[in-house]
Amino acid sequence: MSSDTVINVSQLCKKFVSFKKEPGIVGSLKSFFVRNPIEKIAVNNFELKIKKGEIIGLLGPNGAGKTTLMKMFTGIVVPTSGELSILGYQPWQRDKQFRKKIALVMGQKSQLWWDIPAMDSFTLLQKYYEIPEDKFNERISHMSEILEVKDLLHIHVRKLSLGERMKLELMASLLHDPDVIFLDEPTIGLDLVAQENIRNFIKEYHARTGCTIIITSHYMADVQALCERLVLIMGGKKGFDGPIHEFEKVLGNEKTLSFSFSTEQNPEAEIWKNYYPEWDEKNRSVELRVPEEELRDLSMKVLQNLPVTDFATEKLPIERVMKTLMENPELLKERSND
Amino acid sequence: MLSNIKHYLSVYRKFVATSIAVNTSFRTSFVMLIIMDLFTFFTTIYSIDFIYNHIDTIGPWGRNELLFFACFMLMIDNLHMILFSESFWELSFSIKNGSLDFVILKPLNTIFSVFFRYFRPSSCVLTPLYIFYLIKYGNLVGLGTLDWVLLPFMIFSGLAVLVLIEFCFCSAMFWVTEGIGINFLRLQLQQLSRWPNFIYGPLARKFLTVAVPITLIGSAPVHFLLDKSRYGLFLAMPVAIIILIFILRIVWEKGLRNYDSASS
Repeated sequence: MSSDTVINVSQLCKKFVSFKKEPGIVGSLKSFFVRNPIEKIAVNNFELKIKKGEIIGLLGPNGAGKTTLMKMFTGIVVPTSGELSILGYQPWQRDKQFRKKIALVMGQKSQLWWDIPAMDSFTLLQKYYEIPEDKFNERISHMSEILEVKDLLHIHVRKLSLGERMKLELMASLLHDPDVIFLDEPTIGLDLVAQENIRNFIKEYHARTGCTIIITSHYMADVQALCERLVLIMGGKKGFDGPIHEFEKVLGNEKTLSFSFSTEQNPEAEIWKNYYPEWDEKNRSVELRVPEEELRDLSMKVLQNLPVTDFATEKLPIERVMKTLMENPELLKERSND
Repeated sequence: MLSNIKHYLSVYRKFVATSIAVNTSFRTSFVMLIIMDLFTFFTTIYSIDFIYNHIDTIGPWGRNELLFFACFMLMIDNLHMILFSESFWELSFSIKNGSLDFVILKPLNTIFSVFFRYFRPSSCVLTPLYIFYLIKYGNLVGLGTLDWVLLPFMIFSGLAVLVLIEFCFCSAMFWVTEGIGINFLRLQLQQLSRWPNFIYGPLARKFLTVAVPITLIGSAPVHFLLDKSRYGLFLAMPVAIIILIFILRIVWEKGLRNYDSASS
């Protein structure tokens, strides 16, 4: 492992066992006496190397294994097999020094005490991580100013909005100045302004500290704003690992071409056939995925023959790529076979 | 080593401070808990008193001996309520909903983070009452100077045996996930320990001394305080504590490895 590799994952697997239960009282009684175990492979032969200071976007549909990976990376869950090293430590051994060097933020779980102000939780965290008083005060002051939460530090957490709480969760996780930060859907459920605030804060924090960040999110805006490298996980396996601009081309050199028409159009017409059309309800506007080399011809054909009121073209957005891959995971296999 | 102890003490002080902050936020609940503790205390004392209005002895003990034993156990119970009682319920809850994740992440021993996290200040209000009755019945059974010196150590040793047994039982929550059954079983074991060992038959007594040593919590030290020739069980207490710590470390570590964490 080279000295600047912070995370080294090889052949990592995690299996979970649950049991199947039929509905109703009879099903409950049956499953009480006879359990039908179901083995689910959440992560399968996963490989990954992350260098110091990188920000990685870990993407994938629900149930793909993103959170399980995060939990293995932080030592919460023990891998079934494979090798995993974070900062030279094996996370599942939960070395005290290791735990002082990492942080985990989960958008759907809270580490702040609900019934007391966040500042009380922060002072407890100060003791946990043995943060010197001057550094603690300096970090609280700096982060609360950037996140604009100075006035919220002494209000009971249960009285705060989701966005306010998330900002304080971030602060709580970063107080001990971790080397590696795991952010599991940090902007989930937040409004657009709050999402942007959180993104800007993470960006500023990364630029200032040079820490390593692994972020999972269903919002492509998070990934586009923060990450240069993207790792796609589907069905527990790695589907893509590379720069974000390459991911945009994963389906080929395609662009989005959209038209609006003054009258209703026939979605079944031959002209749309090879371009994955997505129509609006009234069939008066369409979005197409068009190979770059066909863009000019197709545009002219549509403009000449149909009552176009507006048209636009742009790069295939990352969201569209993700959606296509989630609907057709076999495309990734085809790509890796090429 | 010393810096480690200092670190844990500073965290524990914060545990206490945050627990007080939470508990005092809900005043009615705070008062209700005091009333509940008062009920428990006086029903125990007056039930024993009532029984002795109709009989002279239970086993080898008269009224004062049994009331001293009851006060000894109530004192342990009071400390248990203050220091540990909430953590057992919280552990069951946090394994089920996955909030244990954040406890595991903290750079401290997880047994400490889990079981010493919650402090119940409402139970402290009645501690002077428990001490008063313990001293009252200690005087009535004629405790000597050495006995009074030994008494606090015996209370803490009894408490240690009790909580170590409970910690070991609670480790099973990592496998069963739903901890209600284990918590109720734990409470029943506490109930069994609140009676002197001589009320149990020979087989049950052996089981409750060797397999699940709950008779070491109160019966062993009180027998020794009342009759110095009965030191056998008393000497078994430190042995039991060492064995229980050993078992706890093994089952807890295995339990943590088995922890799946709830999905997000």
